[in-house]
Amino acid sequence: MLGLLVLAFPAGLMAATLQNAGETFWLWRFLGRLHPLAVHFPVSLLLFAALLELFTLRNYAHKLRPGIDLLVWAGVAGALVAAVLGWLLATVEDYGGSTVDIHQWTGVATAVLGLGLLYFLRKTDGGTNPAAVKAFRSLLFFSALGVSLAGHFGASLTHGEDYLSSTLPWNEAEYEYTGEAISANLAAYEGTEALSEQKQVELVGKVRAVFAHNCYKCHGEAKIKGELRLDEKEFVFAGGESGPAIVPGESGRSELVRRIKLPKDHKEAMPSKGKLLSPDEIALISLWVDKGAPWPDAANEVSEFRVAELAPRRPNLPAARKGLSQPIDIWVDEYFETQSISWKEPVDDKTYLRRIYLDIIGLLPSPEAYEAFQKDTRPDKRAAWVETLLNRTDDYATHWMTFWNDALRNDYTGTGYITKGRFAITDWLYTSLRDNKPYDQFVKQLLNPTEESKGFIEGIRWRGDVNASQVTEMQAAQNVGQVILGLNLKCASCHDSFISDWKLEEAYAFANIFADTTLEVSRCETPIGKKASTKILWEELGEIDSTANRSEKLEQLATYLVQPANGRMYRTIVNRVWKQLMGRGLVEPADEMDNLPWSQDLLDWLASDFEDSGYDLKELIYKIATSKAYQQPSVGVEDPLMLVEDDFVFEGVVRRRLTAEQFSDGVSQYIHPVFDNEALKYKPNELAVAEQATMPFARASLVANNEFLKALGRPNREVVSTNRDSQASLLQALELTNGTTLNQALKEGAQKWKEKYNDGDIIIHETYRKLLGRDPHQNEFNVAMEVLGEDPSPEAVQDLFWAVLLLPEFQLIY
Amino acid sequence: MNYNWRRRDFLKKTSAATLAAMAAGAPMSGFLGSCSPKETIKSTADTVILLYMAGGMAHTETFDPKRYTPFRKGMESKEVLSTFPAIPTALDGIQFSEGLENIAQVIDRGTLIRSYVAADLGHILHTRHQYHWHTCYEPPQSVAVPHMGSWMAKELGPVNPVIPPFINIGQRFTVGEGEELKAFHSAGFLGSEYGPFLIPDPTSGLESVRPPVGMSTKRFEARNQLYERLVQESAMGEFGSDYQKESLKRSMEQAYRLLNSPEAKAFDLSQEPKEKYDKYNTGKFGLGCLMAKRLTEQGARFISVTSEYEPFFGWDTHENGHTRLVDMKKLIDAPIAQLVKDLDESGRLDRTMIIVASEFSRDMLTEGRPGAKVKDQVEVPDIIEDMKNYGMHRHFTDGCSILMFGGGVKRGHVYGKTADERPCKSIEKPIKIAALHQTIYHALGIHPETNYEIEKRPFYTTPDGEGVAEMDLLA
Repeated sequence: MLGLLVLAFPAGLMAATLQNAGETFWLWRFLGRLHPLAVHFPVSLLLFAALLELFTLRNYAHKLRPGIDLLVWAGVAGALVAAVLGWLLATVEDYGGSTVDIHQWTGVATAVLGLGLLYFLRKTDGGTNPAAVKAFRSLLFFSALGVSLAGHFGASLTHGEDYLSSTLPWNEAEYEYTGEAISANLAAYEGTEALSEQKQVELVGKVRAVFAHNCYKCHGEAKIKGELRLDEKEFVFAGGESGPAIVPGESGRSELVRRIKLPKDHKEAMPSKGKLLSPDEIALISLWVDKGAPWPDAANEVSEFRVAELAPRRPNLPAARKGLSQPIDIWVDEYFETQSISWKEPVDDKTYLRRIYLDIIGLLPSPEAYEAFQKDTRPDKRAAWVETLLNRTDDYATHWMTFWNDALRNDYTGTGYITKGRFAITDWLYTSLRDNKPYDQFVKQLLNPTEESKGFIEGIRWRGDVNASQVTEMQAAQNVGQVILGLNLKCASCHDSFISDWKLEEAYAFANIFADTTLEVSRCETPIGKKASTKILWEELGEIDSTANRSEKLEQLATYLVQPANGRMYRTIVNRVWKQLMGRGLVEPADEMDNLPWSQDLLDWLASDFEDSGYDLKELIYKIATSKAYQQPSVGVEDPLMLVEDDFVFEGVVRRRLTAEQFSDGVSQYIHPVFDNEALKYKPNELAVAEQATMPFARASLVANNEFLKALGRPNREVVSTNRDSQASLLQALELTNGTTLNQALKEGAQKWKEKYNDGDIIIHETYRKLLGRDPHQNEFNVAMEVLGEDPSPEAVQDLFWAVLLLPEFQLIY
Repeated sequence: MNYNWRRRDFLKKTSAATLAAMAAGAPMSGFLGSCSPKETIKSTADTVILLYMAGGMAHTETFDPKRYTPFRKGMESKEVLSTFPAIPTALDGIQFSEGLENIAQVIDRGTLIRSYVAADLGHILHTRHQYHWHTCYEPPQSVAVPHMGSWMAKELGPVNPVIPPFINIGQRFTVGEGEELKAFHSAGFLGSEYGPFLIPDPTSGLESVRPPVGMSTKRFEARNQLYERLVQESAMGEFGSDYQKESLKRSMEQAYRLLNSPEAKAFDLSQEPKEKYDKYNTGKFGLGCLMAKRLTEQGARFISVTSEYEPFFGWDTHENGHTRLVDMKKLIDAPIAQLVKDLDESGRLDRTMIIVASEFSRDMLTEGRPGAKVKDQVEVPDIIEDMKNYGMHRHFTDGCSILMFGGGVKRGHVYGKTADERPCKSIEKPIKIAALHQTIYHALGIHPETNYEIEKRPFYTTPDGEGVAEMDLLA
């Protein structure tokens, strides 16, 4: 007995010290792994001893006594050995978690109880000491209990906590397939008969989708943790550090299945980062393994990611109904029916006018415009006014510069200029918008550029060496992918993507189109001594002649990409324009067009109609802005994240905050120009025809970025940006509250207004009419009058401006 | 799933973690969901003050002096390792370069790193290296990358809700490479809410946090009251709450509080006793240190005080290196030492980490590093005839000094070593930016696996989460 103690301590100590020494000595590992074998002895011996002891309760000196004593001796010895081996195992093999702790301490407790057992067994003196007999028996039953508990927790560790309980009929619910997509279909694969190849392909496809979204990040090409990769068939079956990941046909013996079932706090639980798999995902993988882990070669053709159709589609427009004749409204009506949403009254004239002004030309309507619009009695007056606004070509172009400058990262200043590593495309962009260049031509000129439009694909060149994934050719591939085609090539430009099917070589093949020579492929910054071919991402669009020079390649690319067959490109742009006007795209994020739209029919129809219109952006805007859908009351969200949720439900325009440019222009329009003409970085009037009206003030989209615009959300344009932050922040509020730019404009404006209007009540009314498009309510008037008085100081006028400009009613497009 | 997407519990669940989730400047896609790391780290610091030596501070001229060769006409440039004699410090056997006597006296309260190794980014551009130093990512990047201060602001929030969590003192953006400087003074995809509060000039710091020039406090309060009453009367109430409105209201209240709070006096250096003010007042940088001290007393999270980058000014010595460094040392020596002393004496140093660092070092001959030399930007004659050629004029990336004090950093510790002969590169325990960032984050209790999902891929505080906190720097 003492010998065992002597054995136990040094071994434990050794294990503890060796743990830190990096490589563990093989013998400790080996002995540790004997623990699962050794535990069976004490469990059976002690339980059996306890059982036999029951027969001796009446007569201690039963004939079974010598046998029981032997069982106890052997059982206790086994418990001690098992405890020592278990300790070793836990130490050298990196176990952890609450179950391990419980198991460990019940095991140790049992071993200690065993020592007591032996002590009292000797004290019984053949049954002559009743107290010792009592103690012995109690300890024996406790030891039996302890060894059972320890065994149970140990089994939970190896087989999973619900290994046993899940088979109980009343626990079935836990493993019922509750997920929607997977559960509905799993039944089709269950049963005993062999699966058809078609079914096998489907099943492994689902499994790969789970792997892709949950496991590739650490078990893919880029990162191979535990020497395991799950992104390709051969790797899945090859297994990793801990041996085979799956044993086909036996999910119970498959390491992968065991580990995805472990509780989150368990050291071996997978995925180790992020959320655990859902019960139905676990069920899916278990089922697949139990079915023999079928993976026919045909399965490799099937994607685990959703991929949107490339080709255009022309859904048949349903007949007009409910007085709805505009195709957009008919599609939306179909959608509303499926969502049980009913149409609401369109917004009033005032709201509508403000919306179309801000959305189409980026300016606020004047009080005169509000009045004229309200007095207009034509039944189609809304459409007529939209048309008028679209025809204010300079205002239209200036407003849309904001959007396109962000998307094409065209700025008037910025990184790269100091080393001539960046080119502006402002002239070309402004002219294209003003002349409403057909979008196919627009894209063609960006891709196969003239000197004026080359900035987009030339990218930004920093001095020095840059990452292989950020050379200008790769920037072009990424940006064309993101902006024009709505896909993310950023991952694939470093390694095979784990968020899509795009491969490293495909990204390089696409980037090669923008290159003078053929780029050497680098994987995660390491050249792999290989060159990719030269290809468009979708070969069906056309073949690039890899021997051609750069400008020829670009010409081919431009021609192929703008074909009607490239439905994706046109879906991408109509979705972007929809988002600009509606606050949320049919597909979100608008840069990821493989995501599911809330109405595929509407998206496809818009894209094909766009083609029919001759790729006319203004026509598209006209259709959206005159639809009933656009005229629905606006919708607010409490969290911007809701806008990118898959289960977003469209009900109407989503409320947005004014952009930095819209806010600034609003101030300039009615109070005082925020920027003087000196601030203009781009002067379109130098280009425009002589009779065009001179701009009454410098529009913010044409001035260089500055602290004021930046605080209000104009991005740096270091990277493509297709979304403005709609959230206010402290830094912004500080800029608005005490920034000199706004303060100065308001101060000068107040002087001017005071001279012009003089009286307090006129100034209050004009402020509300000009900035908010309405007269103040009586209460508002009273509050303002308290501050202004009949003969207000310019300071009081300035403060009124400030307060009204910061009202949500001014700040939001609603 | 059938739920009302305007429901309140969604907001409760996610908004704390996702305010400003849609980042300005960043291509918004995927969504930001912080992966909560498994275990928490016990923090040893609440506040970080970064004292940034912009322009490349030569280690052999400051905290890691080598053999001194006084100027003489006709000397060979290859002889020159240090242009100043060495002076003793409070640590036995550790010397600094002449002109840093004050810091030398307090170095026993912190750790001296002598083996920082900067990145190889090819032909040297200061702003690219500064971008790398402050964000841990090499520019350009395909997503907008946050400054380290923005990570702290995002993960830890402000210490005192009135004081912005990320304050940047001393850098103007109207200088050369101003646009490049802007590129990393940004919260990137974390959202503008976590961006830097900029105080380009500490002497006019108060202007950033007080009512607009010419507006009395009384008028400021009245204006705010008018605003609040008009908001109440506005018809927008019918639209109910949404995040733009809520965030606008909240931000306006915060701004009003900051501009009108007693804490805002932290920005007012004239409140400091004259004697103390004079101790710090070596110029803009020194006063920046003083402001950092005052802000720390009011509860700041991250403050960066820079000696200010402007091409060919400050530490960016392309000529007259020796003479210029005399002035630079005068600029930094007293205030840095005073800041360490003041915070130590008030006990704040225990939870405040001060870091003194630069994007890279300089050398007389080597541009880049041995083995990775890059295009020279300065002509260095073999024989020096003119004093203007006497100094460290080339950019050296292979051995730089960093000082760290407080916030759990060891006291009286020297980490790493550079060679005593040219190239004076790191020869013991070289440490790179990712490990340095992780060490700072570790002290703040920010887990190394902290990440956000951007465009469906995890984006960590350091690229792929690389770099392990160097525990040898922490007590």
